[in-house]
Formats: sequence, C-alpha cells, structure tokens
Amino acid sequence: MKKYGVVGWYFFAIAVLFVTWWFISMIVRLPIVPSPVLVFQTLLAVFIKSIAIHSLYSLWRIAAGLVIAVFVGFPLGVLMGYFPSTDRFLAPIVYLTYPVPKIALLPILMLLCGVGEASKIIMIFLIIVFQVIIAVRDGIRIIPKETYYPLYSLGASFKEIFFEVLWPASLPKFITAIRVALATAISVLFFTETFGTQYGMGYFIMDAWLRVNYLEMYSGIMVLSFIGLILFAVIDIVEKYACQWQYK
Amino acid sequence: MIEALDLTVRYRSQNEIHVALKNVSLTVPTGMICAVIGPSGCGKSTLLKVFAGIIHKYEGKVSIDGEPVTPAKQKIGFIPQNYGLLPWRNVEENIFLGLKIKNTKRKTERNALLAIMHQLGIDGLERRYPGELSGGQQQRVSLARTFLLKPDVLLMDEPFSALDAITREEMQDVFFALWQQYEVTTVLVTHYVEEALYLGQKIVILSANPGHIDAIVDNPLFGSGDIRRKPEFFKMGLELRNLIKRSWNQS
Ligand SMILES: Nc1ncnc2c1ncn2[C@@H]1O[C@H](COP(=O)(O)OP(=O)(O)O)[C@@H](O)[C@H]1O
Ligand SMILES: [Mg+2]
Repeated sequence: MKKYGVVGWYFFAIAVLFVTWWFISMIVRLPIVPSPVLVFQTLLAVFIKSIAIHSLYSLWRIAAGLVIAVFVGFPLGVLMGYFPSTDRFLAPIVYLTYPVPKIALLPILMLLCGVGEASKIIMIFLIIVFQVIIAVRDGIRIIPKETYYPLYSLGASFKEIFFEVLWPASLPKFITAIRVALATAISVLFFTETFGTQYGMGYFIMDAWLRVNYLEMYSGIMVLSFIGLILFAVIDIVEKYACQWQYK
Repeated sequence: MIEALDLTVRYRSQNEIHVALKNVSLTVPTGMICAVIGPSGCGKSTLLKVFAGIIHKYEGKVSIDGEPVTPAKQKIGFIPQNYGLLPWRNVEENIFLGLKIKNTKRKTERNALLAIMHQLGIDGLERRYPGELSGGQQQRVSLARTFLLKPDVLLMDEPFSALDAITREEMQDVFFALWQQYEVTTVLVTHYVEEALYLGQKIVILSANPGHIDAIVDNPLFGSGDIRRKPEFFKMGLELRNLIKRSWNQS
C-alpha cells in the first residue's frame, strides 16, 4: 500500500494540475490558452511525425553535456577535496569563473564553436561542471579523517581509497548537484535551441509559436516538461539505490 | 614484536608546535597484550597512529617484528576510537574490508566470516549498515574485521570506552576469548584502570605535557580467569590508581 501511496499522490497532483488548466482555459477562452484535451489530441497526432525527433536531439545534447561535465568535474572535485595543495591552486580559478552567468557566454561560444551542436553541448557542460566540482570537493572535505585510518593502516592504495571512501562519500552530494544543475541546464538548452538549429524542443516550440500553432506549441512544452520529469525520476531512483545507507 | 625507541612526535598547527610524545621507548614482545593508560591528551592515540603507519613524521625508531612500519607489507589491525566502520558499507563488506585490501579474500572466507560473526554474536546482521547497529554491535563488527585478517599486530584505541559498563565488561570478555585464540601482539589504549588490569600483561602509564612514559608495570593478575570480583583485583587496582595519581600530579 505504502509503495503505491507515493505514486498515487503523483497521479493526484497531475489530475489537479490538468483540471486547473482546463478551468482556466474554459474561463479565458483564448487560443493562447487551449484546453488540455485538445493539446493531448494534438500531441498524440503529431508526436511520432514531428516531435519525437526534436525530443531526441534535446535529450542527446543534455546527455552529452552531462557526461562530459561528470568526466571532467568529478575527478577535479576529488583532487581538490583530497589534496589541499590542488585546492589551493584550483579554488581561485573555480571561484572566479563560477559566478559568471554561463548563458551570457553563449554569443562568444557561438562565434568560437559555431552555432551547431558544439556550442549547445558546451553550454550545458559549463552549467553542470561547476556544480559538480564544488559539490564533490565539499563532499570529500567533510569526510572525518578517522574514516581513512583503517584504510591507511591496511596499506590501501589511492585507487582503493577512492573506491572505498571518496566515491561513496561524495556520491550523495554529487547526485544532488546534478539534480540542481539539470533544472538550469534544461532552461538553457531551450534557449540555445532557438539559435542555429532546425532540431530540438526549443526550436520546435518557438517554431510552433511563430506559426501561431498554439496546440503544437503546448504539445512541445508538455514533452519538454516530461523529459525533465523523467530525468529527475531517474536521478531519484539512482540515488535511492546507490545511497541506501543514508536512509538507514 | 612492536618496538619504539626514543619516539618523539610533534604536531604543527597555526605556527605553533605541540610536542605530543617525547622520547617514548617501549617494547611489546610477540604475543603479549600491552595496556597503555593515560589522561586524555597525553598522546595515546598519537602513539597508536605511529604504530599503525598513519603518522609518518616522527623522530626515533619504530618497528614491527624488526621491520620499519609499512602498512602495505605488514598486516596491521587497527581499531580506532570510533570503530572505523565505513557507513556506506554493510556489515559483511565492512568485515571483509581487511581481506579485500590485502587481496587474500577467497571463496572459502565466507565460512570464516560466518564463524567469526557467530562467535561474536552478530549472526544475521550481514546486510545491515553501521548506522543500524548499536555501539556494542559496531564494536563487534570492528573486532570481526580485525581478527578475520589475522593481523601481525593489533592496535586498539579506547575500544570499549563508549560502551555502557555492562556491555563494556561483556566486550572485554569477548575480546579476551578471541585474543587467546589468536595470541596476537596487541597494544590497547584505555583510560580505565580496571580495563588495563584485566587485559594488560604489561601496563604502561603515560603522562602529559609532553606525553612520556612514567612507569611500566608487569601485571601479575593477567590471565588468571575471572578476577574482576576478587580482592586481589581491587587491591592491585588501588595500587595502580595511586601510582597513576602520583605521576599525573607531578606533570
Ligand atoms: N592533528 C593534530 N594537530 C595538532 N595537535 C594535535 C593533533 N592531534 C592531536 N593533537 C594534540 O596532541 C595531543 C595528544 O593527542 P592524542 O594523541 O589524541 O591524545 P589522547 O589520545 O591521549 O587523548 C593533544 O594535546 C592534542 O591536542
Ligand atoms: Mg585518544
């Protein structure tokens, strides 16, 4: 019962949201606020034909940016957290560049890397990587030094210390950082996809808007939201599984 | 055999140098339990960390079985003050940690694991995480990890002090039974006179500022069965207490 309880509340929340939307559409009665029923009909009709390819492009850009950010950010965070000397050297660089609003760099990125895939993926990378570096570093810094003692006295190598302590200890903060960064990354992705591409949910939504096809526009928004929802759900499941010990 | 010769350890913190141990010389022969007793801050943990290969910066000579302390080569069983369990590993993984790092984990070890868990009265807890265990159970897991490794030396830092009085005596018995089976050279740090008397063949009295050895007492009561409620035990305890009081007041 308890297991289905959570899912049940989600369905309830979805129902409330759609009923509210439906009421507003009935009251306003404008094409810019269509009824959710019509939007669903449109979504079913055009998803395979025209939305699916755009959602795949968006997903691919998020995945590529995320993967690169993790591969760059995680090791840097570990080095900075575990070796104070690395931190002294790298922390100023990270702190000076972290507050720069990454989206403001988009024009420069587009000039340097073109308006194609590279600039979009780098944009997502930039947004996620700083959060990962800082979260992993802090996650490792707060490990009490006693935690390492049994490993030191067993003569463990750095690799063993990494897998026995650094990785599991920083995992919860690392996952939280990705969750936070992904929300920003999706908004920024939308923005970058309105430039220099014929593909992606951002393009699809803005294109539908220009064509004054509000039903398709809403379908696009629903799909983009759904992508976000799925990503969050996956992160939650990974966290529940990988960080079980935290909930005991 | 564990040996320290003129061991001096300094800590440097914010331009200030603190001498934690000064000219400590100590020999623990193979197969002996040596209890180290001293007031808090006198350098007991520091001494163990040097033996465990955690502190490398010291003056003097320290050796295990005639070799310099090298955790990668020797099998050092170290039980820190907070039991040293990894919170993200379950009981089974925590117990196997020593064997895993030493690359000696084999299929047959699972029987050894179950046997030692049974002996320590923690059967059935394999899948639990340390956060789901009582202090006494964590202590048992820590002992299981260490004894399963069959260490060359065993170092324990106030292993039973966080436990309530009843559990503490029970754990002392559990430990002693295990120790008799393995007879591993042991240094046991404590601040309880009774614990030192019950478990120490040799009792080392440390004093603070800077940490140094005041006296080394051979314990005639060691190993003579359940002595904790006998008059000799109380008498010896009183003597030891007086000795400790005198030396701690002097410094
Ligand atoms: N990492 C450290 N940096 C500076 N001083 C330390 C450090 N660790 C311990 N000390 C100091 O060294 C002394 C001995 O510490 P410790 O060995 O932990 O004592 P005990 O275990 O006997 O209580 C204490 O005065 C303590 O403040
Ligand atoms: Mg101590």
